[in-house]
Amino acid sequence: MILAKNLTLSYDNKKNIIENVNFKIKEKEFIFISGSSGCGKSTLLKSLYGELPVYKGNLFVNKHDLLKKNYSKLLSLRKDLGIVFQDYKLIQDYTIEENIMLPLKVHKYSDDVSKAQVKKLLKHVKLSHKVGAYPAELSGGEQQRVAVARALAHNPSIILADEPTGNLDDYSSDMIWTLLKNANEHLGITIVVVTHRIPTDMGIKYRRFNIEEGVVYEAS
Amino acid sequence: MKLLKSFLSVTFPLVVMLFMFSIYLIVTKVVDNYKQNITNDYAILIIANTPISSIDSLAEIKVKEIEPLSREKIIKGVKDNLSDTSIDLLQKKLPYFYKIYLEEFPTSLKLEQIRKELMTISNISKIETFSNNHNKLYSLLVLVQDIIFILFSAVLLLSILLLSKQIKIWFFEHNDRISIIQLHGGSLIYSSIPIIKTILLSALVSSILASGMLFVIINNIHLILEPEVMTLIPSVLSMEMEILQIFSLSIIIPLITFFGLLVKYKLQ
Repeated sequence: MILAKNLTLSYDNKKNIIENVNFKIKEKEFIFISGSSGCGKSTLLKSLYGELPVYKGNLFVNKHDLLKKNYSKLLSLRKDLGIVFQDYKLIQDYTIEENIMLPLKVHKYSDDVSKAQVKKLLKHVKLSHKVGAYPAELSGGEQQRVAVARALAHNPSIILADEPTGNLDDYSSDMIWTLLKNANEHLGITIVVVTHRIPTDMGIKYRRFNIEEGVVYEAS
Repeated sequence: MKLLKSFLSVTFPLVVMLFMFSIYLIVTKVVDNYKQNITNDYAILIIANTPISSIDSLAEIKVKEIEPLSREKIIKGVKDNLSDTSIDLLQKKLPYFYKIYLEEFPTSLKLEQIRKELMTISNISKIETFSNNHNKLYSLLVLVQDIIFILFSAVLLLSILLLSKQIKIWFFEHNDRISIIQLHGGSLIYSSIPIIKTILLSALVSSILASGMLFVIINNIHLILEPEVMTLIPSVLSMEMEILQIFSLSIIIPLITFFGLLVKYKLQ
């Protein structure tokens, strides 16, 4: 569950990017956050995984109060999340298997359990044949599928995705949407996606927040 | 290649530092050995009007033994030229002679302090500390030891600077990886496991190299030193404890440097 009460976000504590915002995201919901470029979509998402501190108000993510976070609490929050970035953020000197295994290693799963989970996820994202490859050997679409697999690896309660299809062609974008949709529908994971391009035929129930001039409102 | 470069960059300053430390340990061992030898031979002579009961310590140095010199022996040496009356008189008037042996070899400053402390004892009439003969070679050895310690300290400082620079470079090179791991809830220590492994491997390799060098030096010391200096070297120069010290230092110094930088990195 994500709850924002009178949330204000600012990079330099002078100009507010998001101002006095209230919203609630329930478990298992699929949420799109949209708006024009520079409106603060990614800023809002960054605050959800603690990359940007809360300036004013309250923000709760899975009962973690982000106003009172310290370093260890921040790591504990992130362990509960899966994050997908526009630029994939894969570790270049790790193989695909090692990249997907990262959250499992952080959670101290055994090697056997981790490898079995990676195998299952690679099959799910249709990249079983790339297990030993390095990110540089993969196309953008493939890298993003690896990033989604990594976000799913430790069965998080929430996945945050920042423009996950921003760099992808239509075919790869469709694959990513299908993966996120399945994660929401079949695994009950709450999905929060920042995008300026909402797919027309999602085929599932979702809510859309729009950001305009620092204000978040729910679009119909 | 990158890994090898990183490994060598950590190992090289460590080897230099440990080699300098090995030399310091050898010199310390030689000086300590020489100090023990001269301490065993060295004694302060005192002449007292009445028998001395006991002195526990002088200038904070424990007194090992107070050996009285036999008065009979002194009289025996001169009695051929004296009448019985004179010998009786001499026996009555002859003061008491003692040799004081100390647990440690005193420095010149300590000797002066010892002289002053003995002077305060009222029945002591004369003190001979043999300060003129106070070993000049010992002072020279202590000087060499001090110089090597200063050199070692300088090399240690330089090594820490080189190590910290190398660790900073590693953090810079792996900044993306560290931030990705942190985004997934991994701690800074978890994301630094590769550099910790490199440090530990470098510590092991450098301590083996430094211990090897120490072993070679000890076994070929007669080839390195002049024959007259060889008399200073103990016949058995065992270095088991020193090898343990080298190993401990090789681990402690890079780890302290690493964790110092880690705290700085975390604060940033």
